[in-house]
Amino acid sequence: MPEEFVIDVRSVTKIYRSGKGEFKALNNISLKIKKGDFIALMGPSGSGKSTLMNILGCLDRTTSGEVLLEGENISGLTDGQLAEIRGRKVGFIFQTFNLIPTLNALKNVTLPMVFIGSPKADREKKAMDILRRMGLEKWATHLPSELSGGQQQRVAIARALANDPSIILADEPTGNLDSKTGEQVMQVLSAINKEGKTIVLVTHDHSLTKYTNKVFTLLDGEISDDKDNIGITTRTITEVRQPSKSKPKKHFSWSSIGKR
Amino acid sequence: MIKDIFFMGVDALRSRKIRTFLTLLGVIIGTGSVIIVASSGNSVKSYITEQWNIFDPTSMIIGIGTASDPPQISFREMGFTDHDVEEIEKMPYVKEVAPIGLLPLKSIALRDGFLKWQSKPGGTMYATTPALLDILNLEIEEGRIFQEGKKEIVISRSMTQIFEKDKPLKVGDTVYIQRVGGVIIKATIVGILKESEGANLLNQIASISIAGPVDPFYSSYFGSNVGGILKHVTAYGILSATAVDKEHVDDAKNDILDYLNSKSDALNYKNKNSDFVVITQQYIIEKVDQITNVMGMLITSIALVSLVVGGIGIANIMFATVTERRREIGTMMAIGAKRRDIMNLFLYQSAMIGLLGGVIGCMVGYSGTAFIIQVLSNYMREFAGSSFTHNIQLVYSYEWFAIALISGFATGIIAGVLPARKAAKMDPVVALRYE
Repeated sequence: MPEEFVIDVRSVTKIYRSGKGEFKALNNISLKIKKGDFIALMGPSGSGKSTLMNILGCLDRTTSGEVLLEGENISGLTDGQLAEIRGRKVGFIFQTFNLIPTLNALKNVTLPMVFIGSPKADREKKAMDILRRMGLEKWATHLPSELSGGQQQRVAIARALANDPSIILADEPTGNLDSKTGEQVMQVLSAINKEGKTIVLVTHDHSLTKYTNKVFTLLDGEISDDKDNIGITTRTITEVRQPSKSKPKKHFSWSSIGKR
Repeated sequence: MIKDIFFMGVDALRSRKIRTFLTLLGVIIGTGSVIIVASSGNSVKSYITEQWNIFDPTSMIIGIGTASDPPQISFREMGFTDHDVEEIEKMPYVKEVAPIGLLPLKSIALRDGFLKWQSKPGGTMYATTPALLDILNLEIEEGRIFQEGKKEIVISRSMTQIFEKDKPLKVGDTVYIQRVGGVIIKATIVGILKESEGANLLNQIASISIAGPVDPFYSSYFGSNVGGILKHVTAYGILSATAVDKEHVDDAKNDILDYLNSKSDALNYKNKNSDFVVITQQYIIEKVDQITNVMGMLITSIALVSLVVGGIGIANIMFATVTERRREIGTMMAIGAKRRDIMNLFLYQSAMIGLLGGVIGCMVGYSGTAFIIQVLSNYMREFAGSSFTHNIQLVYSYEWFAIALISGFATGIIAGVLPARKAAKMDPVVALRYE
């Protein structure tokens, strides 16, 4: 029953071609994610996490294989159709927040609604509601540059929720935050997950797996050690799968920077 | 939604004020200069045309000089005789003809009481026939025209005040005229000329200050001698004539030239290398038109080039902006922006710069033209003195406002297309990776 799975990845291969030759970023990956799952997608740099995220987020296309989001096959859709799905079904959260610097917090949150063409009055009301839930109503008219890193990321989460998507894709959302602010952001995500949103979290940080219920670990474009393609439950995951020495150095510098 | 994206563009422009301003400046200068050039050119052209038009369009000047293009009249070479004047007058297409003898005056004096003299430096006196006044559209305001053979003169209204402003010369007064290197002659003022409305720098010849009959002023006393001692002949340097109507100006001109070059007296007296020259009013108007048109085209093309430069400025800055905002573009795509939305976002910005620059450019052009015409008028007044009686009127060429506005707007759109396409065609994955 495919509808049961919000995300259904079927034998997806992604090959990047460059002048020097080919690079197989994803090698025949299959995975299924149920509605309401909070997934951690882990793996060292270059393991294909980001590529998989981009494909799930309809930003990139597969070389072969199929991806179904809520039962809808997104392989072979046009750019415009993909943009439509990104707008309605997917919410993105980035490591670097990626708010539009020329727009205030409220306008940033309304932006996804603008792109799918919701009426103006609804937009502002809804955006304000979400900001209020994030405890940011006071900051609605502030520009991103006037907000702290944690506040910016919460605005970004609000923006990701704007169109009430079923899937939230969070790419290292705590990577640019100090650990305390990072915890707060994870709690927000956890709360959102409890409301029924499926969240896919890309991270290097094992401590974050405590918020998730399943982990997929990617290694060289393949999901390691997961025969059922439905993820390993967090409780059974061990440090063995992801030895700390394989963590990229880059990660340490990011977390040490803390607030931007 | 289009409105929202439009306002996002506005926000983006407002957030980069200096950059926006500098980019705008390119368009403002472009459109502004197009308007200034077109409108001041228009003003000057209509001024010149208007000035020349006060002449009878059928009028012409006949002289001796070089028949080049443009022809030149020497004014110094004498040759036309009274007989020539009579012959020309008989021609079917010639309405009137008058000889002009130019007499440079050393002074004009007034005897005030028995021994009290007042003397003023004189200008140039015209020794002619009454026909000249008709040809130049001059009217007698007071008194009458001079009579041939009598020591009578007519003077201009401004001339009446050369001695004392509050005690002007009147009809009946006697003045003493002294030619440069010549005798003093007593003359009676019989008429005062109405101030010519178009008297100015460009038609000095129409602004006569003193005029009198050929006899006695020119022939008996000062007459230019040609033909040797035994056969004394009075000869003139220039003649002024009118044709019967506008359509026959060229016929009249050809008849006159034919006559002059075949059997005129002047043929014997003129220098061998000199030509007879007839300059018609129409020729002058045509020439002025040609010159102002060429000038206008030249400067307008320069102005349009500056608009193109403004457009390049927009394109340049938009490319920079697109590159700079690459990650924002990726983000917007990630949260649901379609390629068309991104395209519009940047196109609106450049179009807005073009339109705003065009509008401001029009305002700058409007006041700039006024300023330039003012400066030009002041300069002309200084240069031409009292003969510059009419200011140059502002004649805006409104069609150029429209052209400048539209081309400013079009420049913005055209300059924005490539950068906007570049933005819209970005791969969101690559764009998001950009730091």
